[in-house]
Amino acid sequence: MMERQTDLVVVGAGPAGLAAACAASNCGLEVNLVDEQSSPGGQLFRNIESPLGQASLDAKERAQGMALAKKFRASDITYFPDTTVWGLEPHKVSCTAEGKTKIFPTQSVIVAPGAMERPVPFPGWTLPGVLGAGGADILLRSGGTLLKDPAQPIVLAGNGPLLLLLACHLIDRGVNIAAWLDTGYWRKRIMSAIPMAVSFFDSAYLGKGLSMARKIAKAKIPFVLGAKNLQAIGTQRVEKITYEVKGETKEIATTCLLLHEGIIPRTHILSSLGAKHLWDPVQRYWHPEVTECGATSIDGLYLAGDAGYVHGGDASITKGTLAGIDAARRLGVITDSEAAFRSKQPLNKLRLTRFARGFLRYVFAPNPAIFAVPDQTKVCRCESVSAGDIRKVVLEGNTDVNEVKLYTRCGMGPCQGRMCGPALAEITAATLSTSPKKVGSLHIQQPFRPVSLENYCDTTTQD
Amino acid sequence: MEKSEHNDTVTILVDDIPVTVPAGISVAAAVLGHHHAGETYTNPVDGSPRAPYCLMGVCFECMMEINGEPNIQSCLVTVEEGMIVKRQVATAGAK
Ligand code: FES
Repeated sequence: MMERQTDLVVVGAGPAGLAAACAASNCGLEVNLVDEQSSPGGQLFRNIESPLGQASLDAKERAQGMALAKKFRASDITYFPDTTVWGLEPHKVSCTAEGKTKIFPTQSVIVAPGAMERPVPFPGWTLPGVLGAGGADILLRSGGTLLKDPAQPIVLAGNGPLLLLLACHLIDRGVNIAAWLDTGYWRKRIMSAIPMAVSFFDSAYLGKGLSMARKIAKAKIPFVLGAKNLQAIGTQRVEKITYEVKGETKEIATTCLLLHEGIIPRTHILSSLGAKHLWDPVQRYWHPEVTECGATSIDGLYLAGDAGYVHGGDASITKGTLAGIDAARRLGVITDSEAAFRSKQPLNKLRLTRFARGFLRYVFAPNPAIFAVPDQTKVCRCESVSAGDIRKVVLEGNTDVNEVKLYTRCGMGPCQGRMCGPALAEITAATLSTSPKKVGSLHIQQPFRPVSLENYCDTTTQD
Repeated sequence: MEKSEHNDTVTILVDDIPVTVPAGISVAAAVLGHHHAGETYTNPVDGSPRAPYCLMGVCFECMMEINGEPNIQSCLVTVEEGMIVKRQVATAGAK
């Protein structure tokens, strides 16, 4: 079904999307907001309108999230929950809602798809019982449990800010954490010392980190530094895990392993449009090139939030606000000087946040060694392609990930390379002794979500 | 758009077993966190057991049959009273 044309469509109802929609609507734009979840909040403010969601946030974030949701509900924005976007151009957004196609013609688009956990393969990671730490946290925050018996031991592994938060949530629920295996990258961590000093400009944030660290220290979780070569072993689900530390192999019996190797932008939408991306050699991910207002290299298309570069929730709200204001300026609904006036405060805030949190880039830099997995490790979960399959094809002379994809099927399954793309690039690059920057990134085709042929034809005839 | 889901529960049928879960949670969270099914999806390529991994719509490992529709990413669907959910597990004959 073709919806009425509006000034702006915002994709995503997380911190950035909500702030963008509110700012644009406040400037006088007519705004449609589409989101695949059934209530606003995204990942950070998930279930923010229910006591369950509110309880899992600290006081400051809770207040921030609730205020944002309230402002959004009070606005004139037209909200389309449970709506999955599968096609996008600067003037048209194509979605599916309840099995039906919805097309939104528009003057401009702000995409705010947020971030995701960096997927990192290791032997046994497809076994039930192995989850992303982010996924586990979503489960806890929405009232689920990881194991029927909370006293059963769980193992945490990896490196990244989310592990701290997840550990706190697990401790609060009385879950027994058998071990925390740290895979951090000390060469880069040491470089964080100087920027870390700068973070005192953002002392509230630092305080939050310290209080989490205190809680974890009190719980006396066995902490293993420099864990390597993690493996999950089991038949129907994980039964035990093994890892190496200082050349010795250790084993832990567990039915649940939670892995986290940092957070990366979700870039599918912008890559499919050929927007320009940049490579961050420390965090090892591609991120779209955007202005401070979130304008991309494509006219009328903005990006807001962590999908541009991962700076966290605070910064996402600010980035959303800036994008919303600039979208109004671009359409001439507000003047350049009004836009500059409205943007002044958020811009200053964004610069300060970026400056104060610069150290995180180094503290949680991923260790490239985590991608040096054994040949039999499944890299592409959907198509069951192993690291050995990839290496073989690379050694045969295929040096671009898109060629490797063609010959191995790595990245051709339903997730369209979302789960294997980063590892595919790392393994290809390592085989060639070069940087992932040099091996290209997967070309993403629209529709970027599975959509039935019937729905797809529906829309093309409406053109 | 307001939903009065506070502290309510709903009952869904997972592989013919009634499961009562908090309202407002996703089908994936309901199955994983309350039914504790372990495997929820058999990978059609290699036949290996899979379960929800990301719970945010990225991995497609949570595909289940919901109200007769197969291959639905269950982490993106909110539970509703009376919903009929089937795991797409090879041994259970669903597929
Ligand atoms: S659990 Fe990953 S897509 Fe649903």
